[in-house]
This record gives sequence, structure tokens and C-alpha cells, in this order.
Amino acid sequence: MAIKLKPVDVAIIGLGGAGGVAVLPLCQAGLKIAGIEAGTWLDPHSFRPDEINNNVRGWPDSVQKANREVPTVRNSVNGPILPRPAVHAMMNAVGGTTIHYWAQSWRLNPWDFKAHTRAIERYGRSAIPAGSTLEDWPLDYDELEPYYDTVERAVGVSGKAGNIRGKVDPLGNVYEGPREREYPMPPLRSTGFTELMRDAAVALGWKPFRPPAAINSEPYNGRPGCVFHGYCSRGGCHIQAKNSTAVTTIPSAIKTKNLTIFDRAHVTRIGVDANGRASGVTYLRGGKEYFQPAAVVLLASYTYENTRLLLLSKSKAFPKGLSNNGGQVGRHYFGHWVAAGNGGVIALFPFDLNVWYGTPAQGMVLDDWADDNYDHSGLGFIGGTNLHVYNEMHPIQSAGMETFGEPTFGSRWKAFIHQNAGRWNTAHLQTSTFPYEDNFLDLDDSVRDPLGDPVCRITSLPRQNELRAVDFAQRKMEEWYRAAGAIKVVRRTMNPPGVSTHAYGGTRMGDNAATNVVNRWGFSHEVPNLGIMGASVMGTSGARNPTLTVQALSWRTADHLARNWKSITS
Amino acid sequence: MPSPRTRRGISRRTVLASVPLVQISTLAAAAPSIAPAFTSDQMKLIEVVVNRLIPADDLGPSAGEAGVPVYLARSFAGHLSSDRSAFSEGLAAIESAARARHNTAFGELSPAQQDEFLTTMEKNEVAGFRPDSRTFFNRIRQLTLEGMFGDPWYGGNKGFAGWDLIRYPGPRLAVSAEDQRLREPVKPLRTSARGGR
Repeated sequence: MAIKLKPVDVAIIGLGGAGGVAVLPLCQAGLKIAGIEAGTWLDPHSFRPDEINNNVRGWPDSVQKANREVPTVRNSVNGPILPRPAVHAMMNAVGGTTIHYWAQSWRLNPWDFKAHTRAIERYGRSAIPAGSTLEDWPLDYDELEPYYDTVERAVGVSGKAGNIRGKVDPLGNVYEGPREREYPMPPLRSTGFTELMRDAAVALGWKPFRPPAAINSEPYNGRPGCVFHGYCSRGGCHIQAKNSTAVTTIPSAIKTKNLTIFDRAHVTRIGVDANGRASGVTYLRGGKEYFQPAAVVLLASYTYENTRLLLLSKSKAFPKGLSNNGGQVGRHYFGHWVAAGNGGVIALFPFDLNVWYGTPAQGMVLDDWADDNYDHSGLGFIGGTNLHVYNEMHPIQSAGMETFGEPTFGSRWKAFIHQNAGRWNTAHLQTSTFPYEDNFLDLDDSVRDPLGDPVCRITSLPRQNELRAVDFAQRKMEEWYRAAGAIKVVRRTMNPPGVSTHAYGGTRMGDNAATNVVNRWGFSHEVPNLGIMGASVMGTSGARNPTLTVQALSWRTADHLARNWKSITS
Repeated sequence: MPSPRTRRGISRRTVLASVPLVQISTLAAAAPSIAPAFTSDQMKLIEVVVNRLIPADDLGPSAGEAGVPVYLARSFAGHLSSDRSAFSEGLAAIESAARARHNTAFGELSPAQQDEFLTTMEKNEVAGFRPDSRTFFNRIRQLTLEGMFGDPWYGGNKGFAGWDLIRYPGPRLAVSAEDQRLREPVKPLRTSARGGR
């Protein structure tokens, strides 16, 4: 029998990028919150410039929940299960993956919220990819803008505005939606390499700019500016200049004394009462089972676990899983098409680039080929790609470089990497990805976690729209590298997305209860006191990292809950 | 780290339980070494293979001299222990295929024959591997890269030989704008994140 705890106002599952932000407005509204987190606090003193620990082994001294329930992957219902990674890049910790992410903190562009309508307006109904379940978001950019603005300041984002209330500034992203005001900090500093790429883009007539990042470019809220030490990708920040929720919104929430954190708490089920309302959360901690009753449950783990927990939480009222009487949990899933490292475009230069240090967010980007910023007539796809070049290269990664036809071992290879390990680069290309009828998440009864519960199963086949968009973007990227002086460029055929760090859908947000799990405020259509946070509610990806949008949506859901407490809880 | 385990993930109690014949007086000295992952024959084969991947030459020491076999042995005794039998099968497949093709052990082949054999493995043309020879070639090559170019605390990259080979200037806790200029060499700072040499 589970040990029954004292009821709280809100039980929130997961204190990562989403839940770690949502706790702040909830606590500020005076609600009593139980923050239930699978991981624990990580000590910045243990954050080392150590590629084997961070990148190869995936932080073996952190809580390994995600690594023990890595989803299985197949391309179709009848297809074989594909090899799955041994290490899941998502982090179990207070602060979650914001501890070691790249911290790129983008707003989506206005087109991404209304892609369905805009694509039909410009190109006709046939432009909508065959088999896709694309819908407009129930809100537009302007509705989310105040929440983007709030999170950019609460977390701390550096960058350069490209559009302040309609006034366009070419030093920022001229394609972005209008923002109320400038970023709270200037962008991270340029480097020799990013300036080289900027000049090449300008010569091509493109519009490069420095990307936004949840990294301090100068001292902010009592923490220092970035020192560019070069182990930011999958590394924690030893000086706390990376604005993980563990050093920003969570400590602010703790100061209100309204947040109690239960760490190392492994949530197994969400409870349901006789009326079909969420009643609380069951979790394991230290070998004991607890039940945390709550007036409202907020599910804020990662996309795969959000879906899995709902499907595992079966009851009389919800025999197919919580909030799944409409059969929409797991639907409209997609993993972002992201080309990076040896899966994307790789360039060799005839001189040292010195990109060893810095952080991926210290880059040069352009949106000229993203979203609907160019005419797609005759191209056979909608959406586009943000092109991003950046700093930070680790030694194992660099020595594992593409050899451009040279041998891959022996003395000739040694001479090759001696000259070239510091002279190559690979871009980070994020392509608009859409939901499809046949791409979904469910449970895999053949693979179970250590507790005996089935893991999540990804069924996802790459589609023509995305394949064409990726090919188009890779050619543009090659053009950019060559304009900057690259002597060799290869465009690798990417693997279709499997287990992803940019995983969307499964609990999509929309007004139509027949095709969506949560309403425009992030609350379940079927369970009025269950809110869901994370990229699992997003219906399009855009061509950029999801975290800031996830955080803005989470803040908005929390704000809605605080303002409508009585109606949601009665 | 809050858990009572040692940094290699093996508790002292496990060590005590697994070496009952060792006298207590020698335990202190023996504690850092854990149950070996590979037999001495397997270690010899690993050494031969990694030394063909990264041979000694004018640009620096071989993988063996830089401690890469130590990295593999420690990895498979700890972090990769669940993969050890699969890896051992791959090593056995190298020996079987060498005997089938050349009627001798891999280690007895000439360096040129060994290179030709490894190239054939990389091309996925050697039978007897699960799932195939290219996968095992890539596996052992990747582990060699990890040992050679990872932090020396893990047993390889001895004397920072790997970082010197690729002209990596070494981890440091803060980096100036001058250290991020094009074409300008950065003065190497040879230090381990964990105190290895």
C-alpha cells in the first residue's frame, strides 16, 4: 500500500525545462506545490571538461531513469525494431536537460503557429503534405509573445532583437515576429570563425545574425557571464552562466516557501478518482511507494514519458490510459529533423578554425531558408531550415572526423588528422517537421523498464516533404561553406529521426477535442484538472530548438491555472 | 557523489567478495584494480589491433604506448561490462577469420597483412562477425579514439599524446577572445579534468 502524503494544491511531475519554469508563477500565486523529480540536485563542482563522462557515457553519476527506459523505434507498424541508442541524451536532474543542453532559446516564428492556413493561402491545398495531420495552433505568435518575454527575463536569454514592435533591425533576425522589447542581455561574443561565416553569408546576400541563448553574455541576476570553456554541449556549467532552471526559476520558487521538492522520486502512475478527475501521483522513492494527493496534477516530464505515463495510468474511467478515451494520446508525434555532426553537412577548410572552445549557442545563424521566408513554388515541400554554424569541438569528436576519402587508420590517417582535426566544421540544420497519420507513440510490451512497465515505442517513417526540405537546406549549407572558403564539403544522408532530443506531439494542443489531447491552455480535454507541459503539446516544430517555446507555454499554462483556480478545481 | 560506491561503480564489498583468496594485507594495494575484463591473450590481440589503427611514427606514439588498451580494459571491467561478452566474441571472430584466411593468428601476420585484414573488415567483407565485420571495426576504432583522445584519467592519452597529435590545446576553465581567432595557434595547456597524466 502506498504511503499517503498530505494533500497539496498542485503536484507537478518533472522539474526540468518545462516544470522548472512553471513552478515559479504557481508559487508566486501562493499555491502549495509538490515538485516530483526523478533526478536530484547536481553539484556544479562535479561539472568537468570531460568528454568521456559527458558525451560518451552520458553522465553515469546522475540518476539514470531515462537511460533505462529508452524508447524502441520502428519505421512502420510491420517494420522491425531498429537499433536504439544506449544513452538517452535527456537528463534526470533538478533542472532536467537544461543542465547540459545547448541553451539555444528561440521564439518560433509567426508562420509556425499557422502553417496550415498560411501554406494553403500561398500555395493551395495540395501543398499540405500527404498523410499529414497538420493543424494550426489554437493560439498565434502574438498571444504567446508576452510569455516569451517573461521567460526570457526570468531565465535570462542573451540575443539581438530583429523586430521590436515592427521596427526591423538587420543585426537581429529580420524574419522574427515583433517583440515588445530587446533581449535582457546582448548576444554571446563573435569568434574568428563566426565572423568568417557572417561575411560569407553577407556576400551571398543572406541575413546572418547571432542566435539567442539562455547563457549569460554578461553578469545577470547574480551569476557571471560565460567564460567559453568549451564543454557546454552535454556539459553542465561550472560557473552557472548557463541558465538552467536549476539556477534560475527553481531557486526563485523555493524562496517563496511554497515549493517542496521530492527528488529521486520515480513516478509510476497518475491517480484518478471516481469522477474521472486526476487525484494525485504515485511514485517510488527510497524503496517505498508514496501517493501524493493534489487538487491539480501537472505532467511535465519529456515527450516520451508524458505519453507513456498517460498510457500506463489506466482506470475504470480511462481504460485506454488517462485522457485517452478519444484515442489521441501518442498521436501526432514527430521527432525533429536535425542534421548535426557526422549526420549532416561537413566542411574542410585550408586553415585552423580554432572552434575548440566556446559553446554551440556562440554561433552564426540565418533564417533566409527557414519557415516560409522564401517562395516554395515548385519545390515540393513546405517549411524550411534554420542554418546554424557554431563553436565547440571536443577532441574525440574532432579526431573522429570525416576523412574525405583518406584512410581511416594508420600513419596516413594520423597525418591527416594532425593537419585537419582543427580545420573541419559541421553545421546544425533544423528542419520544420510535421505530424503524420502513421507516425505515433505507444507502448512496447516486448521491452520493459526495471519496474516491469513497457517502454515507449516510436513508429515513424520519414516523409517526402521533410526529405526534400532537408536536401534543399543541405545544398544551401554547402553553398555557405564554399563561400567561406571550404575546400571540401560532403552532404551526408541523414538517418531519419529516431529517439530524439526534440520530440514533439503525443499530447497535442488544439481546440478540437477529437484530434487533440489538451486545450489551448494546456489542460486535458477529458480531465479538467490535468495539465500537460512540454513539446508533447506542440503541433509543429518550426526550424529551431523547442525549449523557449516549451517554457513560454508552461508559464502560460501555470498562469492560466493560477487565474482560474476555482473553476479548474471545482 | 552521494552513493557509497567507488568511482568505478564497484563497491569495496564486491571486491572483497570476489577475491576471497587474496590476503587481507594485500587488499589495500589490490583495491584499485578490479576483476580483469580480458584474458592476457585478448589483451595482446587488442594491443596488436589498436597499434595498427594508431601506429608509432614521427607524429607520436602508438595507441598501445599511449595506454589505449588500458582504457579498453577499464571500460569493459566497469562501464561497458554488460557488453564484454559481445566484444570478446568480436575478438574471437578476428582470430578465427585470420586463421581461416592466413592459417595463422592475427598477431603473427605482417603489419601489411594486418592492415589489409582491417581494411577488409571495414569494407564489411569478413565473415563470422555479429552483426557484421564493419560494425565491429567501427566499434573498436571508436573505442580507440575514446582512449587516445579522451581525458588521460581514463587510462589512455598518456602524456597527452592524443591531444598533441590533433593539436588540441587542452581543456581550460576560461577562454579568451584571443583563443577563438582564426588561424592563430593556442598555447597548449596540458592538464586533465580529473588529475590523470
